[in-house]
Amino acid sequence: MIQNLLDILITGLILGGIYALIAVGLTLQYGVGRVLNVSHGEFILVGALSTYTLYVGFGISPLAAIVVITPVLFVIGYILDRMLFNYLRKTSVNADAFSGRSLLASFGLVFVLQNLMLLIWDANLKGYTYLNTSVSIFGALYGLNRLLALGVAVGVSVVFYIFIKSTRLGKAIRSAAEDPLIAQVMAVNVKQVLAICFGLGAAMAGLAGILYSMMFELQPGKGIELTIIAIVVVVFGGLGSISGSLIGGFVLGLVTSIVNFIDPSLSLVAFYLIFILLLLFKPSGILGRQIHAD
Amino acid sequence: MIRKIRLVALPLTLIALLVLTACGPAGQIPVSGEAPEKIIIGNPIALSGPNAPAAALSQVPSYDLWVDDVNAAGGIYVKEFDKKIPVEILRYDDTSDVGTAVQLTEKLIVEDKVDFILPPWGTASNFAIAPVVSEHTMPTLGCTVSSKQLAAEAEKYPSFFGVLNQAPAQGAALVAVAQELGVKTAAVIHHNDLHGIEFAGDVLPQLSAGGVDVVLYKTFPAGATDLSQLLREVQAANVDALIAFSYPPETFLMTGQLREIGFNPKMFYATVGVAFPVFRDAIAAGGAAEGVMGAGTWNPQVKAEGAQGYFDRHVAKTEAEPDRWASAACYASGQILQQAIESAGTLDPAAVQQAIAAGEFNTIIGTVKFENQFNTTYPGNIGQWQNGEFLIIDPGENRQADPIYPKPEWPAP
Amino acid sequence: MLISTIFNKRKFTLSMILLSIALLAVVPRFLPPYVIISLITVLMYIILTLSWTMFSGSTNYISLATAALFGVGVYTSAVLSGSFPLIVIVVISGVLSFILALLVGSLTLRLKGVYFILFTFGVTALIRNVIQWWETHITLTVGRHVSSPGNDTVYTYMVIIYALTLIFIFLLQNSSYGMALQGIGENEDAAEHIGIDVTRLKVVTFALSAIFMGAAGAVMATRWRYIDPTIAFNPLLSFLPVLMAIFGGTSMLGGPILGAVIFTLLQEYLITEYPYLYMLLMGLTLVIVILYLPGGLLVLVMRLYIRLMIQWAKTRFQWQMLKTRWREEWRPKVSMELAQRRLRLQWRLGRKRR
Repeated sequence: MIQNLLDILITGLILGGIYALIAVGLTLQYGVGRVLNVSHGEFILVGALSTYTLYVGFGISPLAAIVVITPVLFVIGYILDRMLFNYLRKTSVNADAFSGRSLLASFGLVFVLQNLMLLIWDANLKGYTYLNTSVSIFGALYGLNRLLALGVAVGVSVVFYIFIKSTRLGKAIRSAAEDPLIAQVMAVNVKQVLAICFGLGAAMAGLAGILYSMMFELQPGKGIELTIIAIVVVVFGGLGSISGSLIGGFVLGLVTSIVNFIDPSLSLVAFYLIFILLLLFKPSGILGRQIHAD
Repeated sequence: MIRKIRLVALPLTLIALLVLTACGPAGQIPVSGEAPEKIIIGNPIALSGPNAPAAALSQVPSYDLWVDDVNAAGGIYVKEFDKKIPVEILRYDDTSDVGTAVQLTEKLIVEDKVDFILPPWGTASNFAIAPVVSEHTMPTLGCTVSSKQLAAEAEKYPSFFGVLNQAPAQGAALVAVAQELGVKTAAVIHHNDLHGIEFAGDVLPQLSAGGVDVVLYKTFPAGATDLSQLLREVQAANVDALIAFSYPPETFLMTGQLREIGFNPKMFYATVGVAFPVFRDAIAAGGAAEGVMGAGTWNPQVKAEGAQGYFDRHVAKTEAEPDRWASAACYASGQILQQAIESAGTLDPAAVQQAIAAGEFNTIIGTVKFENQFNTTYPGNIGQWQNGEFLIIDPGENRQADPIYPKPEWPAP
Repeated sequence: MLISTIFNKRKFTLSMILLSIALLAVVPRFLPPYVIISLITVLMYIILTLSWTMFSGSTNYISLATAALFGVGVYTSAVLSGSFPLIVIVVISGVLSFILALLVGSLTLRLKGVYFILFTFGVTALIRNVIQWWETHITLTVGRHVSSPGNDTVYTYMVIIYALTLIFIFLLQNSSYGMALQGIGENEDAAEHIGIDVTRLKVVTFALSAIFMGAAGAVMATRWRYIDPTIAFNPLLSFLPVLMAIFGGTSMLGGPILGAVIFTLLQEYLITEYPYLYMLLMGLTLVIVILYLPGGLLVLVMRLYIRLMIQWAKTRFQWQMLKTRWREEWRPKVSMELAQRRLRLQWRLGRKRR
């Protein structure tokens, strides 16, 4: 019995770590830049597929690939924000118009990225196994790659928390998120900050992709599914709060884990049920921080 | 005056454009008596979307290889024109959407006026186009469709033929093997989709009737991200056999997680995905595929004409092996079409359809004969990876090797 | 010169509506058979986009529940196929979608902005998964087969639903309810203060828009012929109408129609001509339109049309001027000239007689 409970708990945390990792990039993009980037999942897949190529094609281990992939995706995200979303910010009459247009623009990106992925990597299922040694925790075995994902999720959230709280750039990001106008008055280069955030979000997506590729097989069509998970977690945690996404991810992971124990076929039903219940009764998320005064 | 013309010109041009894009180019309409330059075969299939990986593995390369082979020999000989006519595929992406597949099939038949149709991937799409091709009397050979429902209703769709082996035969083979190996307890798990439900409906009663105790029976949503808890339950139940009806992503996830949690059932069977080369090479790398059983089965060693040759050419052309289940059926579909055209002596679809329904065909999956529009024999119904090849372990004369039981331990990662 | 003197929006819209219905009803039967097949899909998207715009266009509540409401129709049709004539199934589907929308609408009273969007999305996903679970465990059958009454019949049904949707929107927009909806879209609190029953109006409009979605779904199920929960509740069907509406422009009734038509035909064209690149091209087109045409394609079309109307008006004006000048200046002159010449001629001739 205790063993069962421990299993549920640990499996839930691990799953939650994966969910949180998938979501952390989107949190940054939405929380600061107000862009609900539905192409987030595609970025994750780009990271995952690149890791696959680097590992299977060139023998570079996924852990080393982090050093290669995250900066590249950061740059891509930065440029995208400067060229695309910044223009939308400038030319939208109000915040609602911007959120609608940026949503649609990111939808266009989904098409573009999926096609590019199909062209660069073909449609075949790809996979590899890495770090699937088992680690014993409280008597049961768990995969090392999954535990790594959990560790990275927590680590990233902690690093970000410190980063946002203490560094100058972090403070600039916070002020740009709270009130862009005042931030600009205070000599914060809002345009740059927002672009950096978007780039960081893309880099986080890449990181999530690297870890994702260790555990699941890859196909270019999976992006939307990942985006949906990310959106649910982000809403759960309170749109825009990184620690919220982490906690939200864990809660969702635990819920999924418990439902899996009772009747696995209901896990998706439970997933979405919790989602809409949360929206009905506590839309500001678990941590209750309302960024946007809607 | 000119301004008046300009006023009317724009809307007229727009309407004309609209109509033209809807009409499109007329296909080849051969003048009666004159041989067409090419036999055009329409193929609406998933080049993007969730079905794309499976189509890219099992169907598209085999179709293209068949076309290459036919054209290398000069084409298909059509007695009506007394000449060999080369073949060409006209392929559209159905984006893994059933509605699009139906519409593209109609477009190919009605507007592009293709001579024949090669179907899309998957049971759903094939099910959907079966009535369409039958309305237009366009014989279509399905090689990636597995559905008892469709087989039962086959006479409503006289133009649709199934080449691939179906769930009942595979289920029966599975149960027979389990009995032979003395499996006493089993856990059956499957996903929430038609495939899983049909197999479960067949296999569960047969297992019980065969003296195998199904200790655990659970389902999971398609595309699950974590099956470890379900697998731990199976592990706790300490069954002899784990039987899963699942699609490749779930099969692969399951295999990885079984290794993670350290559970090695004596018999591990999953329907779709095990027969893929990527399973052996990447997912269960390092020899972990050894002893895993799956649905199938065809391999280059089967006693059918051209089997090894097909395998070699497939590897040479695509730098990848064909899968050990459906790829061969798809190549064989082309062979059947060719032989039917040759025996009917004409490109008239109705005549070719009759030839398919009545004939016997010599293909790389053996002799194909349709009964109620579905193929009656297949080289094997269940296979097991042994020494890097997916061997047929069906009981009876098709067996290539005795099944390995219990399954060897997962190798250390 | 005021545009409004040469362009009566209401009359124009109504005449365009009736013209389009008449054209659709008659013309395609004389064109190659594939045109009807193509138009069925186009009409489906037009109906979905129009119904979506009915509610979301004016109130600015972006609903992603379209797939759920449409899917209910599709699934009802799949379940009842063969048991009732199609017209009955279509009506039942419309009613069921209405009820579902009523429920969802009343639940989401308190949600606004992005939360509303996400809620409607979540509800759709939940319904899909619940039905999948139900079919797997309770009815033990996942795929259902629907027989088709023939493309001509399907087309007729779609044209009728299209006509009803269009006329309904037209009546709605030109009524006080339509104004009230616009008011909600502009400033909901102010609207409430004026005395508009915001809640009831929102829910009722949402529910009414669902009828057409459900009806269309019931008809399309006969086209797709094989239905399972993933096919019926395909999330793409929630996103595409939004895309098409904004692509076309939401300021006029013709916008969503234009968006749906161009998008669908463009997609079909690209899929058949560039099977390996069409997603890239669609995505780029989408991004470019969003960036540079925030009002949608409608802006381009209207600019062109207004320019043409102005030219036409100028031409007419100049023609009038010419006529007036002719009547008042030249003709008298000319006739006087002629009269003088005749007189002179007669006088010369008549000299002999004088």
